[in-house]
Amino acid sequence: MILRVLDPTNEKKAPRVQPAARPSSLAGGTVGFISNGKEGTRGYFAQLERMLREELRVKSVVWRTKSNYSAPADAHIVDEIRNWQAVVTGVGD
Amino acid sequence: MEALLKAPLTSRVYEVGDFAAAQELYHSNGWTDGLPVVPPTRDAVDACLDWALMSPDQLIGIEPVRAQPITAEKLAINAVMAGCLPMHFPVVATAWQAMMKDEFLLHGVTSSTGGCAILVIINGPIRLEIGASGSFNALANSDRATAVIGRALRLALINLLDVRPGGIDRSTLGHPGKFSYCVAEDEEGTTWAPLSVARGIPQGLSAVTVMAAMAPRQIMNEWTTDPREILETFAAEMRANQRHYSIYGGNYAIVVPSQLREHIERAGWSKRNVAEFIYERARIRRAEWAEVGKGAIVRDRGERIHAALESPDHLLVIAAGGPAGGFGAVIPPWMGSRTKAVTAAIGACIDCEPPQGKGERRS
Repeated sequence: MILRVLDPTNEKKAPRVQPAARPSSLAGGTVGFISNGKEGTRGYFAQLERMLREELRVKSVVWRTKSNYSAPADAHIVDEIRNWQAVVTGVGD
Repeated sequence: MEALLKAPLTSRVYEVGDFAAAQELYHSNGWTDGLPVVPPTRDAVDACLDWALMSPDQLIGIEPVRAQPITAEKLAINAVMAGCLPMHFPVVATAWQAMMKDEFLLHGVTSSTGGCAILVIINGPIRLEIGASGSFNALANSDRATAVIGRALRLALINLLDVRPGGIDRSTLGHPGKFSYCVAEDEEGTTWAPLSVARGIPQGLSAVTVMAAMAPRQIMNEWTTDPREILETFAAEMRANQRHYSIYGGNYAIVVPSQLREHIERAGWSKRNVAEFIYERARIRRAEWAEVGKGAIVRDRGERIHAALESPDHLLVIAAGGPAGGFGAVIPPWMGSRTKAVTAAIGACIDCEPPQGKGERRS
């Protein structure tokens, strides 16, 4: 006996966001860090800032922290991203 | 006439040779929770939609962060897979509407390493209609209705929002409530107002409350009839959770069984009295973290007092459990107050203006 069964997944996916162009160099540029605010982000981003400045000659690094670590970044932080050449975000568990 | 007006199902159809082949299709695609599923046929899905008077393309809601639309058809498919009968589907649909309110923070709740599940509490006449029990084994396999309703939420999370372990679901441990976590309040066994009424839903309406919840922590106190002593045991368990898990306040639930309720109710204590007592007692000094290995983040704030509840309103007091035994439970929130429990009436429009501002409640 043939059973006809239905697809349980969301076949209508939300449109994918087009990623920004990848920078060829960060030298002289600005990199933004978006922290989720957890303890573990401090040491990680501090080390990353040193590496970016010393090894990739990044001029400035901007630190921002989300108001809620389990929600998307606040709108005012997202607005700032356009001024950065790259952004690094992640959890700090 | 009704059939002519109703939109057709649009989900992709798969043909399989038999029941076992259906299981392999769903398991191999990652569409299950690891347990067998009921094959979702058109007839079964249509029956759910007909019962709820929903068109397949009816929008249940849009997941706020990833903008994923959730339709009645897709939700019904997952409900059938979980074992739901048509009469269970309105509870599933309403719970999903509640979960997609911004304040529930569904994305955080389902993606966090913290590993919470979604607890569903059912109130009102629908409990009796669908056979949802709040008695023996209330937090576990008490009955068919609560088992499949709780499971339906999880299967829909997996399939509609990709909340799979290692995918969107980044839980370190999770807990067994992620298979199913649903309880009906024992309204017939208590003088207390139903949870839904305490949270603003008019008496006599059916409702669901959803809460981002950790595993239940059982307490036991069979050696007193004094409400203060009984509730002190609950408060102590909340303090323990603050010390060992998260110090921050949020929506806690406590499940109070018949044997303990009897003493508390006989003393004239309402749910509000219970919540006010717990609110005062469930709090710790930050310095206590140093006693459990977390001294590194006490810093200079050792004397700060952290309350488990931001206000008495944040305690969900649930009457449930078998008739004998002084066993209660504390159900902690996922992580402080970043998520709020949401209560919604079943069969009511969640975005419509509620009567006298009492159609839904979040706190």
